[in-house]
Amino acid sequence: MVRLTINGRVVQAEKGEMLLVVMNREKISVPAICNHGAVEAFGACRLCTVEITKNDWNGWKNYVTSCLYPVEDGLIVSTHSETVINLRKTLLDLHLARHPHSEHVRQWAMEYGITQTSFEEIPDGDDCILCALCTRICDRMGFAAISTVGRGHGKEVAPPLNEPPPDCTGCLACAQCCPTEFITFSDSGTSREIWGKQFEMITCKECSKPILTKDFAETLSKTRNIPADYFEVCDECHRKATALTMGKISQWQREDTAS
Amino acid sequence: MKKQFSVDPNLCTGCRTCELACSFTHTVDGKAGRPRIYATPGGFEDLWVPVTCLQCDDAACVKSCLVDALKRNPETGAIELNEAVCVKCMACVAACPFGCALVDPEQDKVIKCDLCGGDPACARFCPTKALTYKPSELKASKIKVLG
Ligand code: SF4
Ligand code: SF4
Ligand code: FES
Repeated sequence: MVRLTINGRVVQAEKGEMLLVVMNREKISVPAICNHGAVEAFGACRLCTVEITKNDWNGWKNYVTSCLYPVEDGLIVSTHSETVINLRKTLLDLHLARHPHSEHVRQWAMEYGITQTSFEEIPDGDDCILCALCTRICDRMGFAAISTVGRGHGKEVAPPLNEPPPDCTGCLACAQCCPTEFITFSDSGTSREIWGKQFEMITCKECSKPILTKDFAETLSKTRNIPADYFEVCDECHRKATALTMGKISQWQREDTAS
Repeated sequence: MKKQFSVDPNLCTGCRTCELACSFTHTVDGKAGRPRIYATPGGFEDLWVPVTCLQCDDAACVKSCLVDALKRNPETGAIELNEAVCVKCMACVAACPFGCALVDPEQDKVIKCDLCGGDPACARFCPTKALTYKPSELKASKIKVLG
């Protein structure tokens, strides 16, 4: 156990825990765009930066990304000091110049009072902030279907050779977790398209509602030992069937008590 | 002693108080949650079955989750979904054979019953005691159709 002070409040934490994890637990919030509980911290967005010092640092201060900073005893943290706020403003200002069309980036900047970038806008800048959440989550799912390619200015997220990724199962976790909703997909009742790959959907045997892609269901059946027929009925029709089964048992009991 | 959640459809009148209690208990930022329990027609006259998670031993939802967002709480026996870890792949929603892993479209997240951390609101509010949560010799938190 270590004791540290965050914004004047003394909190306890396990030694070595990341500062952002401690802050989340204490409901002290900072923007942490590239962070997600399913994957390791990555330190790409820098927005979770906070100010740290210690009593014996003689007034010396440091600025660290809280998602990657292991806590230690006696740490004094300030998440919204003037310097930190200004630092975050500069980062958001840069983001806004690079992604001028992203509603999300606009929103984050607005929360820090920035409505217009003070840098030169990149007019055709896309919405990908290169946080790599999509590729990290895809790796965590065990698919590793997409990755970041190129470096510097040309860096982007893409499937291998820019062709429909063979290992993608169409689970949509990447698109669901993309903080700027840059990853697009389309769903019709019976098919899905993402990363240029077409998927056939399993539709509910009872009501025809689309459930999940055939590829994803097959992977789950194979690797997780889930009977394939579980995936043939949607959640609502499963509940209806459950009620009918339990209803039958209850009816017998009723008839038993009546006779 | 561990407690057990029990459902007795023969006491259920289909009043849906459980759904309301669940919904309000899971309110976030002024948005009511989607209920995790559904009073559902049982196929016979005046027979309603409150369908909710059975906190299965060998749960399909847990098996289907590739990022380990679903874990059993040893205190309550409930399988809890860690929202911070969930990547919304919907595998559990598709895998649960009882339809008890769900999507809450309003709050934009995947949900399931967590027995309210050990004091299930549905049981507390059920006017006919069709739902109960009581100390039991039986295994923790299993739904039992009572005679
Ligand atoms: S959500 Fe479904 S599979 Fe998971 S424990 Fe509940 S009833 Fe079982
Ligand atoms: S939707 Fe969330 S909890 Fe369910 S299987 Fe996917 S990651 Fe796990
Ligand atoms: S959350 Fe993005 S750098 Fe820490």
